[in-house]
Amino acid sequence: MESIFTPYMLFNFALIAITAPFLAFIFSLIFKRFAAVIGIASIGLSFISSLILFIGVWKKPVLHFSFDWIQLANFKINLGFLLNDLTVIMLLLISFIALLVHIYSVEYMRKDDLKYRYFAYLSLFCFAMLGVVLADNLFLVYIFWELVGFASYLLIGFWFKKEKAVLANKKAFIMNRIGDVGFLIGLMILLTQFHTLDIDVLFGQGNLIASSFVKNDIWATPFGLMPAYWLSIAGFCFFAGAIAKSAQFPLHTWLPDAMEGPTAVSSLIHAATMVAAGVFLLLRIAPLFNQLVLTSMAAIGLFTAFMAASIAVTQTDIKKVLAFSTISQLGFMILAVGVQDNAAAIFHLVTHAFFKCLLFLAAGMVIHQLHHLKEKYQENFDDQSLEVMGGLRKLMPITFIVFVAASIALAGLPFTSGYLSKDAILVSVFEWADERGGIYWVFPLLVSITSWLTTFYIFRVVFKAFFGEFRLPQILGKTAEELKITDPNRWMTIPVIILALFCFALFFAYNPFNLESSWIYGSWNNHPHHTGMYPILVPIYINVLSFALIFMAYQAYAKNTFAFNNQASWYYKLSLNQWYFNSFYDVFLIKILMLKTKAFYWFDQKIIDGFIHLLSNIIIIISKITSWFDHYIIDGLVNGSAWLVSRLGIWLRGMHSGKLQHYFIWMLLIFLSFFIYKLII
Amino acid sequence: MIPLQHFLFVGATLFSLGLFAVITRKNAIQILMGIELMINASILNMAAFGKYDKVDNTGQIFGLFIIVLAAAAVAVALVIIMNLYKRAKSIDPNQTNTLRG
Repeated sequence: MESIFTPYMLFNFALIAITAPFLAFIFSLIFKRFAAVIGIASIGLSFISSLILFIGVWKKPVLHFSFDWIQLANFKINLGFLLNDLTVIMLLLISFIALLVHIYSVEYMRKDDLKYRYFAYLSLFCFAMLGVVLADNLFLVYIFWELVGFASYLLIGFWFKKEKAVLANKKAFIMNRIGDVGFLIGLMILLTQFHTLDIDVLFGQGNLIASSFVKNDIWATPFGLMPAYWLSIAGFCFFAGAIAKSAQFPLHTWLPDAMEGPTAVSSLIHAATMVAAGVFLLLRIAPLFNQLVLTSMAAIGLFTAFMAASIAVTQTDIKKVLAFSTISQLGFMILAVGVQDNAAAIFHLVTHAFFKCLLFLAAGMVIHQLHHLKEKYQENFDDQSLEVMGGLRKLMPITFIVFVAASIALAGLPFTSGYLSKDAILVSVFEWADERGGIYWVFPLLVSITSWLTTFYIFRVVFKAFFGEFRLPQILGKTAEELKITDPNRWMTIPVIILALFCFALFFAYNPFNLESSWIYGSWNNHPHHTGMYPILVPIYINVLSFALIFMAYQAYAKNTFAFNNQASWYYKLSLNQWYFNSFYDVFLIKILMLKTKAFYWFDQKIIDGFIHLLSNIIIIISKITSWFDHYIIDGLVNGSAWLVSRLGIWLRGMHSGKLQHYFIWMLLIFLSFFIYKLII
Repeated sequence: MIPLQHFLFVGATLFSLGLFAVITRKNAIQILMGIELMINASILNMAAFGKYDKVDNTGQIFGLFIIVLAAAAVAVALVIIMNLYKRAKSIDPNQTNTLRG
C-alpha cells in the first residue's frame, strides 16, 4: 500500500514532533505566565505529528534519515531519524500520554508558585524521550538517554524544599549513572567491533549483526574478530543500562523514592514512559543478545517482578504500592524480552503505559483532594496513606470508576487490555519453559504467583481506598460532613476518562479473548507459536484464582469480615521493609563507601596536603635564606663599598687642610714612600 | 782633591736643613729661605757631578740655570708673600687656609 505522505514530509513531521517540546522548554522559561499553554500546545503538536507519522509508517518499510554530524578519522557519527513500527508506536504512546498528563497537571499544579518551571521540565522530558525513540544511532540514543535521566532528576526534586525529594532525586541520578556506565561500555564494544553505531546498519534485517557469527569461541564480524565472551559482555552492558532505567533488581530502589515528585510526574515519567525506555532499548537492540544474556534477562525480570509484587502487598503509601507495581510490571516486560517474545513486551509496554498512568493519575486525584483538606484544616496527616482513605467510592465516583478500570486491567481480568498483554507474556513463559523443561519450570510457577499477587495488591488498594468507611474523619475527630471531598474539576477528570477507555481490550483487538487478533501484537509476532493448549489454559487458571483473591481482598479490606494477623511473621516484615534492600545498600555499600571516602579524605588531608605544606614551608625557608643573603651579602657588598668610598673620601679630605706646610709634609711622605717602595722591591 | 762623597754629604745636609726649615718655620720668609737652601743643595750636587763632565760642563751650566731660575722664583715668591700679607696681615702660612679646596 502506497503511503499518502512522501518520505520528505514524514521527515518534517518527525522534526516537528521532536523540536516542539524543546522550543516549549525554552519558551516556558521565558514566558512564565503562559508556560502551561505553551507546554500543552507543543505536546499537542507533537501528538498530531506522531499520529501522521504513525499513519505514514505503520506496517510500511523502514524509513531512515541520516546526516553527517561528527567525523573524526574513521569514526563517524550521524544525526538522524529511524522510523519503523516500534518508533511510531512509541512516539504515539509518549506524545498521547504526555498530552493527557500536561492537561491534568494544569489543575494539579495550579497552586504551585514554580508552575512554569514544572511545565518547562515536563517539555524537556518529552523532548528527551521522543529523542530516545527517534534517534537512529546509539550514540544519539545515549545522549537523549542521559537527558531523560536529567529531566527525571529535575522533576523528582521539583519540590526541592522537601529534603526527602532532594535525597530521592540524588539517589535516582546516581543509580541511573551506574547503568549508564554499562551502556557506554556497550557502545564502545559495538563501535570497536562494527565501526558504526547506526541502529539500522547494526540491527536491521540482514545487516551487520545478522552477518556476524560466533564460531570456535570467536565472534566474527565483517570488520574483525573478537573472543566470543565480548558478545555476552556487550549484551550485559546494554542490559545494565536498561536495568537502571527500568528499575530492575538490583538497581530498583530509586523508583519508589522517586515518588517524592509530583504525582503527575510519577505517572508520566516513572510509570508510563521513561522507565519503559530501558525495555525500549532492549527491543531496539534485541538481535545483539545471545542465549546467556537472554536467560539472565528473563531471570532478573522474573525475580524483580516477583519481589516487587510481594513488596506491594504490604505497603500503606498508595504511591509506593503503585511504584512497586510499576517495577513488577517492568519485570514482566524484561522477562518477555528474555524469553524472546518481543511482541508481548511491546504490547505490554503499551497497555501498561495506559493503565499505570491512569492508576497514578487517579491516585493523584485522591491525594490532591486530601491535600486540600490538609491545607484547609491545617491538620498534619499523611495524604498518601491508605489508612486515611476508605469509602471514597461514594465521594469521588469518577475517580473510583477509572481507578477500578485501571485495576482490572493491571490484574489482567477478561475484556481488558492487561488480559491480552499480560497473558501473552505468561503464555510465552510457559512455552519457553516447556521447551527447556527441568529447572526452567520455576519461571512459570513464579510468574503465576506474581500474577496473583498483582491482583491481590491492587484490589487491596481498591477496597482500602474506595470501600468501607472514610477513616479520615475518625482520625481527625471531625464529622464526615465537615470533611467533604468530591471529584476534582474537568482538567483532571477528562484526561483520566480518556485513559480509562484505553484500559479495555477493544482498542487493541477486535476479539478481546484472541491475542493474535491484536494489531500491536500481530505486527511483531514473527513466529506465531501460540497454538498448543497454553493459550487457552493459562488465562483460565490465572483468572479463576484471581477472582478468588479479589473476593478474599473484598472480605478482608472492604467488609472486614476477617483480618490478616500475620504482622509479626518474617515474610510480612520482609515485604513491609521492601526486602531490606535499602538497609542492605545503606550498610554494605554506602557505609563502606563513606569509610573509604573518609580514608581518602584523611589521606588527602594528611599525606597529600601535608606534603604540599611541607614543600611550601621549605620554599618559604629557602626564600627567607635568600632574602637574608640578598639583604646582608649582596646589598651589604654594594653598601659596604659605598661606605668605604665615603670614608676614604672623608679621610682624604682631611689631607686638604689648605695649609702649605701640610702639603709639603705630604709631598715628602709620598716621595719617601717611593724610595721605600724601591728599597723593598 | 776632595772626594765626591763629601760634596754629596754637604749637599744632603743642606737639603735636609732646608727641608726642615720649610716644614717647621712659622714665617713665610723663613720658608723661602729653606727653599733657597734646598735649591743651593741641588746646585752643589750639580757642580760636584759636573766634575765628571769636563768636555761639556753640563753640571756647571745646569747650576747656572738653577741659580737664575731660583732668583726668578724668589722674586715671584716674595711678591706672593707681599700679597699674602696685604690680604691676611700675616705671613704665617698656618694662619691662612685659602689653598684649601
